[in-house]
Amino acid sequence: MKIKESKSGAVIILDLNGRLDASNSGVLEKKLTDLLGAGEKYFILDFDRLDYISSAGLRVLLMAAKKANGAGGKEALSSLKEHVREVFDIAGFTAIFPICSTSEEAAGLF
Amino acid sequence: MALERMAGTLDEETRIELKNSLSELERLSLALEEFGDRRCLPLKTVMDVNLALDEIFTNIVSYGFPDSDDHLIKINLLIEGKELNITVEDDGMPFNPLEIPEPDLNVPLEERKTGGLGIYFVRKMVDELRYERRQGKNVLFLKKKII
Repeated sequence: MKIKESKSGAVIILDLNGRLDASNSGVLEKKLTDLLGAGEKYFILDFDRLDYISSAGLRVLLMAAKKANGAGGKEALSSLKEHVREVFDIAGFTAIFPICSTSEEAAGLF
Repeated sequence: MALERMAGTLDEETRIELKNSLSELERLSLALEEFGDRRCLPLKTVMDVNLALDEIFTNIVSYGFPDSDDHLIKINLLIEGKELNITVEDDGMPFNPLEIPEPDLNVPLEERKTGGLGIYFVRKMVDELRYERRQGKNVLFLKKKII
């Protein structure tokens, strides 16, 4: 998995590319923890190029969302592929994360 | 001749052996992709099975072995008619995933926990799940309908 980071105003956009599983979820966890530690609290995770996610990936997203919310911020997700979306549905995560069809739409939430 | 060869191919078992390291997840997904392509399985079936086996494998590697030795996790895949029968075998500590309670999915974000989510995915991704402790090994049987 590759992570591309960009910033638009106060919002950090992380573009995830590839597969997010237990072998690399620690990389995303560190990235988000570092950003949160540096005072960032608005995040868009762009899943347009994310092909796969397991519970290890969901764990990291939940951890970051809790911390961002706790700091008065927000974590939104965008552009989920069908089977990634399905994993979110099964986990009941669709109901607890703001999920947008595009990253532009997600940007409108902030 | 052609028919015989075809029947032989269909009965053939595919074995994937993985070391107890999370870096093997990539090899698992590539092996499943190749298996799916060769047997012309629907992408959805392959993705579901990939998620189930990922979660089982991750669990075994993360919690199954009290030592730091090398272990092999053996996965067998067998297509029987419209069913994919899978076994996962490891020589780790006894662990029956069927005993893990289902997570509570109907709570707000702040109270959500992710414990048990992986095993819950396994249950959701397959049509049957069975566990046996056999000769010092954990053997998990999964059945997935091919649709």
